[in-house]
Amino acid sequence: MLVNRVKELRAKYNLTQGELAKKIGVTRQTIVSLEKGSYTPSLLLAMNIAEVFNEPIEKIFIKREEEE
Amino acid sequence: MRLYITVILRTLLYISLAIMVYDFVRIEQQFELLGRGYIDSFSVNVGNQVGQVFIVITIILVIMNVFQLFVMKRNKRAKVEDYILPEYDASDERSVEITGKAVRFAFVFILLYSFLILGSYMFVPNYFLDFVWYPMFTTASIPIIGLIVYLISFKIIYSR
Repeated sequence: MLVNRVKELRAKYNLTQGELAKKIGVTRQTIVSLEKGSYTPSLLLAMNIAEVFNEPIEKIFIKREEEE
Repeated sequence: MRLYITVILRTLLYISLAIMVYDFVRIEQQFELLGRGYIDSFSVNVGNQVGQVFIVITIILVIMNVFQLFVMKRNKRAKVEDYILPEYDASDERSVEITGKAVRFAFVFILLYSFLILGSYMFVPNYFLDFVWYPMFTTASIPIIGLIVYLISFKIIYSR
């Protein structure tokens, strides 16, 4: 599974879900499910998020083994 | 909200078309029975309200579709097949993915439901005499059921 630091980085950059959604061209609901971990973004969306937070993708999205 | 409106409009469109076809077939059947000598006379009431409803809904849906095509055309990322119908949400990549999933659910349901509807004709062999409405309304119910399943699936998956 893919876990992400979007919520943490969004708080760090003092962005609301709506503002981040607008910056990367998605709906606020997509940010909500992204932060909940229920949505795995496409590579393009992940790159856009990385661009906003100025961090490498692998530092934002981390692959974790599924727990049994 | 837009999805609810389009599903309601599309459902009304199918219902009004079914009523129009039923009215036409019912009257034509009376003429047929009269011509063949089964009845001596008949009386019918012909109204044009259903036809007007059908035309108004068709116009609204066409306008919505053209508006959606126009708005989505500006979004360079969206593909035409993602927003060809006003029911399809292509506001972002997640919506497109959810639309795909909801369409898959609706397709499965339509396949199962059509099977049952086709089989149901065995239980009403006299439909063409006593239940003239049966084929029109059951046929109209197939896309309506598909739309309802699509709407429910979309909303459930979208809220996750």
